Amino acid sequence: MPACEPPRFEGLVGWRIIADRSALDTAPWPAGSHVVRISPDDAFVIGAAEPGVPGDEHAIVTPELGFAGAAVSAEQVADIALHHIEWKLPAGPCVAQGQIAGVPSKLVLHADGSALLLVACAARHELEDRLG
Amino acid sequence: MSRVVYDGTPIECEPGDSLAIAALRAGQHPARGGTLCLAGDCGNCSAIVDGTPWVRTCQTEARPGAVVQRHPNGSHPSPGGPEHHTQVTVRHRSADHVVIGNGDSGAAAAAALRSEGHDVLVLDEAAGDEVVGVFDGPSIIVRRNDGIEHFHVHHITLATGAAEVHPVCPGNLMAGIFTPKAAAKVRAAGVDLGNVVTVGAELKAFHGEGRVSEVELADGSRVSCDNVIVNLGSAPRDVLARMAPLVPVQIVGPAAEAHALPAAPQEGVLCPCGKITVEDLDGVWNKGFHDLELVKRSSLCGTGTCQGAVCMPHLRSFVADRSGVEPKPFTARPAARQVSMAEAAAGYHIDTFRRTPLHGEHTKLGATLDKFGGWFRPWNYGDAVSEYWAVREGVSLGDVSTLGKMMVSGPDVVEALERLYPNHVHDIKVGRSRYVINLNERGHVLDDGMICREGDTRFLLTFTSGGASTAEMWVRDWVETWGLKVHVLDRTVSHGAINVTGPLAGELLRRAGVNDDDRPKFLQHRHIDVAGIPCHVMRLSFTGEASFELHHQIDQSVELWQALMELGAPLGIKPHGLQALFGLRLEKGHVIVGQDTELDSTPRRINMDWAVKLEKDAFVGRDALIRTASLPDERRLFGFTMDGPAPLEGSVIRVNGDVVGHVTSSWDSPMYGHAVLMGWQKRLPHADVVEIDGREARVSAVPFYDKEGARARM
Repeated sequence: MPACEPPRFEGLVGWRIIADRSALDTAPWPAGSHVVRISPDDAFVIGAAEPGVPGDEHAIVTPELGFAGAAVSAEQVADIALHHIEWKLPAGPCVAQGQIAGVPSKLVLHADGSALLLVACAARHELEDRLG
Repeated sequence: MSRVVYDGTPIECEPGDSLAIAALRAGQHPARGGTLCLAGDCGNCSAIVDGTPWVRTCQTEARPGAVVQRHPNGSHPSPGGPEHHTQVTVRHRSADHVVIGNGDSGAAAAAALRSEGHDVLVLDEAAGDEVVGVFDGPSIIVRRNDGIEHFHVHHITLATGAAEVHPVCPGNLMAGIFTPKAAAKVRAAGVDLGNVVTVGAELKAFHGEGRVSEVELADGSRVSCDNVIVNLGSAPRDVLARMAPLVPVQIVGPAAEAHALPAAPQEGVLCPCGKITVEDLDGVWNKGFHDLELVKRSSLCGTGTCQGAVCMPHLRSFVADRSGVEPKPFTARPAARQVSMAEAAAGYHIDTFRRTPLHGEHTKLGATLDKFGGWFRPWNYGDAVSEYWAVREGVSLGDVSTLGKMMVSGPDVVEALERLYPNHVHDIKVGRSRYVINLNERGHVLDDGMICREGDTRFLLTFTSGGASTAEMWVRDWVETWGLKVHVLDRTVSHGAINVTGPLAGELLRRAGVNDDDRPKFLQHRHIDVAGIPCHVMRLSFTGEASFELHHQIDQSVELWQALMELGAPLGIKPHGLQALFGLRLEKGHVIVGQDTELDSTPRRINMDWAVKLEKDAFVGRDALIRTASLPDERRLFGFTMDGPAPLEGSVIRVNGDVVGHVTSSWDSPMYGHAVLMGWQKRLPHADVVEIDGREARVSAVPFYDKEGARARM
């Protein structure tokens, strides 16, 4: 059994932005927001204030409430990696995506080894069950 | 002195005994006979230990209280194990260089690698690390007392040594036969073997009643004995090496050395796992199977529990003797040892089945939930027929959150959608929507859905629930292939959707604060508040009745659902599940892609040519459709009616006794009092009357219900 406490998830409130890479690179994010760069053209901005992307008039900017997240310690990350991840976990800071316990998930890895674990709300119950 | 229970009888054992040694100490064979190597190479000591079959008792400590049962005589034990498995822990580990085996050659290999600066991990069965599988990757699977370990490694060195060759001759399944090292282990444990005879290649046969009492030699002489030691040399212990021929493993020590094959077997059981005799092999050979691999497959020799560890030398010798060519060993398959279902399945999960934000509401309403398209969805709420009538006569809610939903935006978006879809896109006005199918390059139907235009360069696309997971790949792949500038965002799991459907659907929206002027007309869509909740309302119809899909943020799904149920209570509102929905849409003649279609269904085959505009310059699948348009095509999806009960979906459709197709959808229509169905006819000429389930069915035009489509526009 896992040695650590299982992650505690909560629904996240934010904005999803699909835009040109250069526009995302230079976007002025709202103060206090936390930006998760899912891919070069895809950002998840955690925070209530609507961000703008002045560099791309065709950008998709839409509220994003489809993710649940859990802050996990470096010890929890190591525990999850040992028991539930079959792929090689990269060193942070970076965003790693893949199956965790068979559930598509994202790990926003910080330099100190801790991370924000993201999962679609629709699959949250599965991940909680399997990590718990 | 402690005790274990062997076939219901307590036997005493000494500290350090394996179960096999304990049985021998009690004067018994640990299984039912056969040569004992006591090295884990063969399955001749396998038994059911604490409920788990196929346990090698020579490798299992005689733990006080252990309960051992011999496998059934003449048959295999039933699969499975203890009724209640404890959870098997899986650990994933990485290692640079792994050495399997810690004998002389393994220890030397590890030392050499360490001296070169490598990080080396040594796995040795004697230390509790039982390697049961080697896979491409490379990766290796290790069974330990405390769980299963999956090692992702860079280099593998196999130092597994050599296994002693078992005798093949008449009587070789009797008790009282040992390899030299096995006999040494037994004696080291203090077990008296009595009068022991040691023989080698001069062995001809064993004689006795279940237990060897005489050994017959090649010269015809017979020697009395209590036990016999047979020394026929050794062969590489190479099961792991043979397991992954594409994995670059280094083999060292006796496992890598050349070993002479034993003399060709003439008589007796060659494969103790499957009780396959030399006579069996002769039968296979005489049928023309002369390649080692074919001899193995046709006789199953080498496919048993030891994966050829025992029979391989003899089988190769058999083929070499008859063909004149010494064959190379065949491939082995994981697992090298029997593993329990719990061990094999440990750490793996079946597909993830998602829950809509309304999952709890469905549960509260007593819904029967089932798995469809990767989601838990309500099948019914207890009475599908009353749910059906709620849609046809009143108003009903359906949870359609599972529909694929995708935002697309960009300067090239119209061009991209024109190329993707066979229908026109450029002329869809802002605020309007259009039904579309999507095709692959062969012109086969992949999925269907709606295109909703939100702005000049912005659209919302919908897909079926089952097709949603591949839709994003499909769109992205083509857009990137064409080099068009289009942004793509999948909203399937971020947006909920509730279908308000029925002749009173408009009235319910009115009660939810939507003015008649704001309510979208058929195939329109608008962003308006419903019950105070911002929704993207799409007017369409899958049920055949007026329908409004309310797309919204998932954190407001429950609030919206509860508000609509409360406001709709005076209207007799009921939710409907998939069972009713499938019947409703069947009456309307709507196909479900993947259920009514096949992998090679073209629009023509499913009577949807109207959704294809071949006059367009280009779209995915156009060339294939043009090329095949003039060809005769015997396949066609038809509607049928017949007296009830509705036949099972999948039932064969016959014409004059010949099978011409099958039923894809079937429903006892409460509206018509008979069955309505869809199914394939795949032979020309298509018949007007067919036979299904021994009864007559008549081809019928679809839709069965509301052919003018007036009700959806109410």
